[in-house]
Amino acid sequence: MHYVSAGPGEAHGHTTNWGDVSMIRFLLAVLAVAVVLTGVYVVGRLIYDIVQLIGERRRSKNDAALPPLWRDVKALGIAAQIGVLAIIVAVIAYLRSNFLTRAEDIGLNLSFDFLDQPAGISIADNPLGPNDTVSEALTQGFLNTIRVILIGIPAALILGTLIGIARLSSNWVLQKLATGYVEFFRNIPPLVVIIVMWRVVFLEGFPRSQEAWKPLGGWFIFSNNRFAFPSLLGQDNFDAFRLILLLGLLAAAAVAVWRTRVFNETGSPHHRVLWGVGTFVGIATVAYVALGAPIATSKPALDEAGRVFSGGLRMQMPYAALTTALVIYTATHIAEIVRGSILAVHRGQVEAANALALSGFQRYRFVVLPQAMRIAFPPLINQFLNFSKNSSLAIAIGFSEVTSLVNDLFGQSQPAPQLILILMLFYLTLSLVLSAVGNLINRRLQVVGR
Amino acid sequence: MRKHWILRLVAVFLGFTLLAAACGNDSSDGDAVEQDGGDTGGDTGGDGGDTGGDTGGDTGGDTGEDGGEDTVDLVQGGSVLAKVQDAGVVECGGNDTLPGFGIVDADGAFSGFDIDFCGVIAAAVLGDASAVNVTPLLAAQRFPTLQSGEIDVLIRNTTWTASRDGNEQANFLHTTFYDGQGFMVRDDSSIATLADANNASICVLTGTTTLLNLNAVLADRGIAFTPVTFESNDELNPAFQAGQCEVWTSDASQLAAFAATMDIPTRILPEIISKEPLGPVVADGDTQWAQVVNWATMATIQAWEFGINQENLSSFTDSEDTNIRRFLGLPIVDGDGNESIAEVGLGLPTDFAWNIIEQVGNYEDIFNRNLAGIGLTLAGSPNDLWTNGGLQYVPPFR
Repeated sequence: MHYVSAGPGEAHGHTTNWGDVSMIRFLLAVLAVAVVLTGVYVVGRLIYDIVQLIGERRRSKNDAALPPLWRDVKALGIAAQIGVLAIIVAVIAYLRSNFLTRAEDIGLNLSFDFLDQPAGISIADNPLGPNDTVSEALTQGFLNTIRVILIGIPAALILGTLIGIARLSSNWVLQKLATGYVEFFRNIPPLVVIIVMWRVVFLEGFPRSQEAWKPLGGWFIFSNNRFAFPSLLGQDNFDAFRLILLLGLLAAAAVAVWRTRVFNETGSPHHRVLWGVGTFVGIATVAYVALGAPIATSKPALDEAGRVFSGGLRMQMPYAALTTALVIYTATHIAEIVRGSILAVHRGQVEAANALALSGFQRYRFVVLPQAMRIAFPPLINQFLNFSKNSSLAIAIGFSEVTSLVNDLFGQSQPAPQLILILMLFYLTLSLVLSAVGNLINRRLQVVGR
Repeated sequence: MRKHWILRLVAVFLGFTLLAAACGNDSSDGDAVEQDGGDTGGDTGGDGGDTGGDTGGDTGGDTGEDGGEDTVDLVQGGSVLAKVQDAGVVECGGNDTLPGFGIVDADGAFSGFDIDFCGVIAAAVLGDASAVNVTPLLAAQRFPTLQSGEIDVLIRNTTWTASRDGNEQANFLHTTFYDGQGFMVRDDSSIATLADANNASICVLTGTTTLLNLNAVLADRGIAFTPVTFESNDELNPAFQAGQCEVWTSDASQLAAFAATMDIPTRILPEIISKEPLGPVVADGDTQWAQVVNWATMATIQAWEFGINQENLSSFTDSEDTNIRRFLGLPIVDGDGNESIAEVGLGLPTDFAWNIIEQVGNYEDIFNRNLAGIGLTLAGSPNDLWTNGGLQYVPPFR
């Protein structure tokens, strides 16, 4: 018998992502611990308050001014807390007993063992196979959700900011166009925007892949199945080149810092962006030539039958439709926030900038926008959260993000209550992480504001 | 002065909520205990001929305990049959986007093969085929909805599989339609057999066994494909017509139904890759209700076998055949001239089959009314009667 050990190239054959089984179970455990800790904290606080109150009343027992217990504001406050707590506990207990009774009646399986069962599904453009486990499938769905968010939120922020500024423009046409855009898309439910974008623009607007549209000599391929763009592909010495690029970035940052220091000391123009970019491009060019062209462009291709896309950067049509629709929808809300925040910047600031003879761009870049963004950021976090949650509407147009995937799993007889719980946990974690990041940035912004 | 008044109000309110919360806890515990007791009693009592008596007892006890709180009854188990008789309507989970099987028209009225079987159950239990409330469900919603007790019966082109019987707490009853998973392509497509579909994009509904079959069968045959999954046929249909996917896979009957409504010419591939027996489903844990739904469904096929249909039903009132008289709940005269009506003890009225045939029709009536229009034929198909070489065979009604 001949035994062949897997070479380094074959090691990546199977997709195991950062311990997915443990990730989902870890999330569930964190949820349980959080619930218990919150309960202990609330009850503990309540008991502490009661002990305080008793002590206080005992100490001042002989004080004639002491109100009777039913008129003591502190006592009433504690009673109110106990009341609210009792209502919450009663409601949860009722729902729980209702659910458990029904589950027992029909014999519902409430364990989480299904996570290690084969999921029996596959996803477009994903190595996930039908024999991979449920938790691997959930992880891949979650990653697809994140792919939408990573591209979508920055795009929505940029588009929204531009539209918000355009709404305040003195150019009549631009201003009315921006207003029309905002008022139109802001007042349509996101699901409708998504379905119309998918159906009218992408599905009917692009040819089928057998008749794909290949502009610019085939460097771009557009069809209502997939899009493909040219991309860069690493060749020999690519790892070394990547390392040198990283060093180049560090060097560029160092140069920029040096120019800033020169500016602070002498007052001569710093041009730090120009210097930094110049340094980086210079290093990159030298390395590219020295290492013998370590990267090449990759041209996308499509086979005769119009089925197999290869090379380049490929994108599923539903992904493009979903991301575009959500960016267009969310950008309207962001535009309104940005517009409001710009208007909230004190007029004296603009007048001062004008008095310094700053150009229109400089006025926005250095005076208005930094202050406006400080005001805009907290409500913007809200929009980022809405964006991430609205991505679940992809289920209507066939993009396999995590909600759509959970629906697939329902069809494979995987238990719905547990899957819904895990789905809620995913979105909860995502939202908490997003708002934590947002709050960190916000705090930085506020510190600068003194 | 005013402040004191408010504080007093708050105190009273708090006291009240505390009391209510405490009572709520007590009563729900009590209910659970009583419910358990009742169940045990019913179980040990056996399920022979006492069904009628049990039903009566349950209903009486329930109404006595918690008055008008229907929701508690519904969610905490008990007999579905008694609940349906009490409410006077059958809650039926159905499809609203599948021509021929379950579709909703512009006025919000449901029609179709599956919807007619909801009517069959209502006619059997309540004597009125129109006493049906259809809840349209997406594929992925149907089992959670059935599990929650929101619907009494699920008749939504649902395939009977082992994992659904086991994992979804579903109880599958007599198969009303024998189907199989097929593939449809545009007529001008280069795909002639399934093997040609290598690397193609295939449209499929999410939350269905279709997706599972597709993955398993194509993986086994070494055919690579890109799944494009949709939640509803409302989006899948345009996606197929616009060519986002080259192939549409679903139950063959569904493909035929959609092909009939499409502008572009289409072709169905020769391969049928699975068995898809479709039929009514109820939740586990209520044998009596399952039997009621099962026998009501099978009565349409027995009537077909007897040759009784909606048109000639009245001519059977003076039938000489004892089996037919028994089936239709007609009085049977014995040698001494005593009349008696057969009672099968299912908890159904003795004339349930009569009501079904009179109001909805036999299996053939239902099939031709709904499925002939989309190009499906009964003769020679697996859905034909066993005496004609088909698969429809039901146990005797005696």
